[in-house]
Amino acid sequence: MTVALVLAALLAVAAVIVVALPFLVEPEPESDRLGELDGTERRRLEQLEARDRALAALKELEFDHRTGTITDEDYRELLGPLRREAARALQALERFGAPAADEERPEAERT
Amino acid sequence: MARKASPARLVIALAVAAILAVFLLYTSIAGGGNPSISPSELAGRSGTVQLAGLVLGPVRGDAHADGLRFGLRDIDGEANTTVPVLYTGSVPDLFRAGRHIVVDGELRNGTFVADPGSMITKCPSKYSPSRNSGKD
Amino acid sequence: MPELGHAALLVTFGLTAYALVAGVAAARLGRRRLAASARNALVGAFGSTLVASAVLLAALLRNDFSFTYVARTTSEALPTAYTISAFWGGQEGSLLLWLLVLTGFGAAAVLLNRRWARDLIVWVVPVFAAVAVFFSFLLVAVASPFATQQAPPDGAGMTPSLQNPYMLAHPPLLYLGYVGLTVPFAFAMAALLSGRLDERWLIATRRWTLLAWAALGIGQLLGAHWAYVEVGWGGYYAWDPVENAALMPWLAATAFLHSVMIQEKRGMLRVWNLLLVLLAFSLALFGTFLTRSGVVNSIHSFTQSSIGPWFLAFIAVTVFVSLALVFRRLPELRSPTKLESPISREAAFLYNNLLLLALCLTILWGVVYPLLSEAVRGEAVVLGRSYYDFFLRIFGLPLLLLMGIGPLIAWRRASLSSLLTTFRLPTIVALAAGAVLLALGAGSSVPGLVAYTFSAFVATTIAMEFVRGTRARKALGAASWPSAFGSLISRNRRRYGGYVVHAAIVLLAVGVAGSSAFDSVKDARLERGESMTVAGYTLTYRSLEERQVSNATEIRALLEVRRGDRELGTLKAGKNAYTIEDQLSNEVGIRSDLLTGEDLFVIAEQIGADGVVDFRVFVKPLVNLIWIAGAVFLLGSAITLWPDAREQRRLVARTQEIGLPATR
Repeated sequence: MTVALVLAALLAVAAVIVVALPFLVEPEPESDRLGELDGTERRRLEQLEARDRALAALKELEFDHRTGTITDEDYRELLGPLRREAARALQALERFGAPAADEERPEAERT
Repeated sequence: MARKASPARLVIALAVAAILAVFLLYTSIAGGGNPSISPSELAGRSGTVQLAGLVLGPVRGDAHADGLRFGLRDIDGEANTTVPVLYTGSVPDLFRAGRHIVVDGELRNGTFVADPGSMITKCPSKYSPSRNSGKD
Repeated sequence: MPELGHAALLVTFGLTAYALVAGVAAARLGRRRLAASARNALVGAFGSTLVASAVLLAALLRNDFSFTYVARTTSEALPTAYTISAFWGGQEGSLLLWLLVLTGFGAAAVLLNRRWARDLIVWVVPVFAAVAVFFSFLLVAVASPFATQQAPPDGAGMTPSLQNPYMLAHPPLLYLGYVGLTVPFAFAMAALLSGRLDERWLIATRRWTLLAWAALGIGQLLGAHWAYVEVGWGGYYAWDPVENAALMPWLAATAFLHSVMIQEKRGMLRVWNLLLVLLAFSLALFGTFLTRSGVVNSIHSFTQSSIGPWFLAFIAVTVFVSLALVFRRLPELRSPTKLESPISREAAFLYNNLLLLALCLTILWGVVYPLLSEAVRGEAVVLGRSYYDFFLRIFGLPLLLLMGIGPLIAWRRASLSSLLTTFRLPTIVALAAGAVLLALGAGSSVPGLVAYTFSAFVATTIAMEFVRGTRARKALGAASWPSAFGSLISRNRRRYGGYVVHAAIVLLAVGVAGSSAFDSVKDARLERGESMTVAGYTLTYRSLEERQVSNATEIRALLEVRRGDRELGTLKAGKNAYTIEDQLSNEVGIRSDLLTGEDLFVIAEQIGADGVVDFRVFVKPLVNLIWIAGAVFLLGSAITLWPDAREQRRLVARTQEIGLPATR
């Protein structure tokens, strides 16, 4: 019976330690801000995702065409819009530039 | 490309309408199911019903010959009505006096004549609150 | 030791409550350390639940009958394997298993995703914690597995019908499925709460959803097999409410798995997906509620317990809060793209979703109808088998056909001419198969014939995809046909794994159609030496034997089986009489034909004292395809679930490109 109580007490103490750990490890941190994305980073992530999505769609179209799921005429018809979308995504990324270059851009472009 | 309004909403609306139509058609043709009642509510009822109750002995007869005869009582035990049941067809293994069963059938001349093979017994409770003896 | 168990559950309750409150605070205030603390609490909750589970398991294994739960569900004589299964055999233990799996999945989900879905994780923690708070509250205050009593000399024992290997696998698998659906739900809620409404939450939870869905599917097939061979009433699915309780979330999850593909590829159906995942999760909770509340008449159902109202309240709160969140974000959930054509892959997936949902809701209606009619008319009306069978056919058969059409249509827009080219071969094969089957007599059941024909169509399309894909890879320079095949699958795991799963569904459809639309059944009362014939088989009842085993008397009738003039061996069917429990169990005799997949299924319904036996014999064509379908399903799920290193690298590279710090 007492063994059980001792173990239970240990468990409770362990729980408290586990919960307090981040505060014990860093009593005075430089920044306690949650590493959330700000507007520009978020925008860039979305553009990266748009680019990947457009490229993946192109790849799938190629695959479907090569395996014969999509006929030649359908392929020709669908290729144009997808290519344009991918180009748009790549352009948007380039225009936006790397995060370090953000400072030079005008305020208006930031979200 | 030229079309502005997307056909998606129309497609979904038509599909939902079709499904509802099928559903309503079925229920109007095939009708609803069977009412599920307890033995005390059986008196005077006509048509096929589902009777849910507690089996009372003595259990006599042969379900694969002339029929198994037993009594059925309300599970709650408040009412005193016992309905005589005549059952033919498969008898589940768990069937015995004191078990809860469900059986479909029709009241005929004071006896509940069951649809062959329609008996279902309930598994002995494993999720019920604990009881004293544990023997079911 | 029960004090330790109870204390551990209290710690779990405390930790999850903290994770909920701290998690919400950390997310709203943007505090990093607090968020980490909340996450630790959730992980810690898994630890303390593990301790509680260990205590219960230890008590079971050492037959400690001072634990009320142990005394109620086991006995000294019970074999060890079944003693372990008693963990989830009763109310309180099964809730503890739920909580264990829940906290385990929660810990894994937040730890595995913390690198690249941080903005979601910070909200996932409190949502998960909220569900865990509910279950730990039930375990602490309403249904504790650690109640104690004066230890009786022996326990009550386990019902013989539960003492079989299925009890070891079927419930845990279903729990993996039910609980697993919490992960996509939590991420969906996190997406709504954090405002990250794009495809991020879908990608993070894709494998979890697949895992839960596969577990639910396999769990149900195991349950069907259990019903077929052990319970032995001649079927594998009775549309019992508790069976439906697992089918409904599975159907909703199937719809979800398909519609997420649309959102990933085209950014459409955002609101739809959120609502679907909410439905799947709510149905999982509802299913858990149905199996233990005694609310509906069921062969599995148990007496009224106090758990029921709590569950209902929790489901109501969950649905209400989730819908409110969706409504709040509705303006931001507008899709950037639209459906372009009613003949496209998106549209096919949409039809698939509508059919699956229709079937799911029809089943739900059938399950709650007795409750509703009782509330409205004062009388519970039960819908029978014919109701379910009708809608299974109406919605299931078009769904089957769609399975063959969807993968072969282009995204966005497919021209009619391309449809004609693509579907020419499958249509020809299907019509030819239909004609042949008609000639063989399959016209006796129109739905059965239609199912066969559609299955032929789908099977052809699947074969076509594999052949064409392999050919394309070979043309790209693969070394040999096998390596082309292998690289095709490994580079397109989702697609071809999905095709394998579709193949499993085709096998399932054929097996179900054969064994339900084209089966034969016959009853006969036989004396020793007499015979009966069913569908070409002749069975002769030879003798009756009795044998004592450890806890039962085995009574078996021996039959000789012949087909035409070919001897097919013998078959035994009978009953077991369990001495201690004073119960009989049905032991059916099954002879499976390896070539045709047909089963000869014999039930010794009643054994008279004079050795006269009432037999019921079924001949079930193609029924073994159902079990084979299970194995194929497992294979297909494994292929789609297999971790893809390339995909992982791409995801990590993306986060690095934006300059997000790698850890924390």
